Amino acid sequence: MDTRPESRQHEIRQEITRILREMTADWELDLPDGIRGSTGLITDLGCESIDIVMFIVAIEERFGRKGLPFESLLMNDDRYVGELTVDDVTGFLARELP
Amino acid sequence: VNARGPRALLIGLDGATFDVLDRLVAEGTMPFLGTLMSSGSSARLRTVVPPLTPPAWTSLVTGVPPGRHGIFDFVRVTRRAEEERELVAIHRSAGSSDAEAVRRAAETVQESRPTMQYRMATSTDIAAETLWSMASRQDRRVAVLNFPVGIPPEHVEGVVVPGFAPWRHLRRVVWPVTFYDVLRQLPGFRPEELVFDIERERRAIQELAIDEYDEWIDFHVRREERWLEVATHVLQNEECDLVAVLFDGVDKLQHICWRFIDTDVHTVRPEWEQRVVERCRAYYVRLDEILAETVRLAGPETRVFVVSDHGFGPTGRLFYVNVWLHRNGCLTWAAGVDLDDAQRVGPEEITRSSVALFDWSRTTVAALTSGSNGLYVNVARHPEEPGVPPEEYEDFCEALRRRLLGVRAPDGRLVVAEVLRREEAFPGPQQHRAPDLTLRLADNGFVSVLNAAEPVLLRRETLGTHHPHGVLLAAGPGIAAAGRLDEVSILDVAPALLHSIGLPVPCDLEGRFPGELFEPDALATDPPQVGPRTVARTTAPHDDAAETAGEEQVAQRLKALGYLE
Repeated sequence: MDTRPESRQHEIRQEITRILREMTADWELDLPDGIRGSTGLITDLGCESIDIVMFIVAIEERFGRKGLPFESLLMNDDRYVGELTVDDVTGFLARELP
Repeated sequence: VNARGPRALLIGLDGATFDVLDRLVAEGTMPFLGTLMSSGSSARLRTVVPPLTPPAWTSLVTGVPPGRHGIFDFVRVTRRAEEERELVAIHRSAGSSDAEAVRRAAETVQESRPTMQYRMATSTDIAAETLWSMASRQDRRVAVLNFPVGIPPEHVEGVVVPGFAPWRHLRRVVWPVTFYDVLRQLPGFRPEELVFDIERERRAIQELAIDEYDEWIDFHVRREERWLEVATHVLQNEECDLVAVLFDGVDKLQHICWRFIDTDVHTVRPEWEQRVVERCRAYYVRLDEILAETVRLAGPETRVFVVSDHGFGPTGRLFYVNVWLHRNGCLTWAAGVDLDDAQRVGPEEITRSSVALFDWSRTTVAALTSGSNGLYVNVARHPEEPGVPPEEYEDFCEALRRRLLGVRAPDGRLVVAEVLRREEAFPGPQQHRAPDLTLRLADNGFVSVLNAAEPVLLRRETLGTHHPHGVLLAAGPGIAAAGRLDEVSILDVAPALLHSIGLPVPCDLEGRFPGELFEPDALATDPPQVGPRTVARTTAPHDDAAETAGEEQVAQRLKALGYLE
């Protein structure tokens, strides 16, 4: 198995994209370019906070991990961040997953 | 249609109280419930602290209290200081002898974490085995419909359609996954009506505008009908030993419409109020029909248990506890936090907003959610960090408890009836995740976490709030026609259900077997058995393997930092 960081990152991005595609399958989104690294969960996919929660549950299920410190992704200086892209989540998981 | 019905049917009526049901039965609004009562046994059901849907139902379906199962609220709170202590404990258990190195390592790992945050509680947070799991691993099939804290669903033998799921995600949270296609084939399938999501839950305890009542009540009639349709399919097509279905409109109506349901409160009414009274009554009429149909479909050989997770009663005051904490020098609001002028208990988005209400650099204690009535103390990790120094924690909590017990409303009445330390309220291995202090208000109301002009105000209208006593009714084969019995604990329901599907009661459940519900002859021929301890759940990451994996991850992090060989 290729364990180079960029390859790992690519695998993670693919998994995240798959989760988001499944999650939003019935949402009737208008995304001509599909879900990409720069896709924003809030502005492009229309996620509300509950959808982010469900997204995290799905990630934990898919990667078989519990208790990942998503708060460091979702919060900055004790405030919630305004946007989250697929690349943000990919970078976070690449750092956190062993 | 199956020849065999389930051995046991658990019908949940969220928030049902005999204070309402007895009157509705007496006046003929709920004749089937009356028949059930007279043919079986019933008792007030003492619930857990706090009397709130997720901890209460989780207690019922695990047979252990929140201090053991770890669900204290709709949300799970994580404190940076608490997590750090856990990391230190894990590191120590890994054999390190350098205490200072351990402390620094854990602190470094935690550096990027916020002071306090929370997320929706999920099934993976339940640290105890559920009835569904106990039944499944002993070759019993179960159907679990609309129960809270069910996401992600347990991989049971049978069917799970969790409640409190955002309807846009229903496809992903049904077990088995193919059952979603079954749901879609049902003639009345409308996911947006079937599932009541957590965001709506928050709105359910705010006031409604006059023109919103009719739709609110009608929506809940439709929801109960949707769940009846799912239950009908299950009872007719899925051969299960235990079918559990929760109808939760009772709770939703009683919160907002209490003054239209509890007829002692109002006498003379304007026309629109009279219309709401009638609509509420129509809801209970329809609910009674739904109960009758569910029991009929299960069949005469099925033992039926109707239970609620907590009771209900009126609340007339609103305690903005964070305003009081602010005035007492314990809390600083974040910049730009508006004053609430709508008598709300929390922000619209339950899942994320309230931690951002506070300036944590100048806050030592805060209420994060209204449901649990819990206060979380911000404990400093080191002298330079904001928060309560660990060595002052005990005195801080005790002083706060004394002052809270003296808070008075504008009418001069005491607001807080009881302040429980977490060691008192939640004994057990999960207590470290509980609020440091839990308030029981004099009228059992919920605190508001919002900012306001005054810490206590009298509500414009009487609303309904959770009370500590719910209901238990049992009927069917082997159940005594004993009428109303003495109080039973919510922890006693799991042993009764396990026995009813032919399983022993694990020796580590905390409830007792409520033998008074049963006919003596039935117990003589089929006595309850005590069995081995519960086991770690197979699908939840709280099982031993996953817990070990989590510890390994921490160990890896610490190792990467050079503190663990």
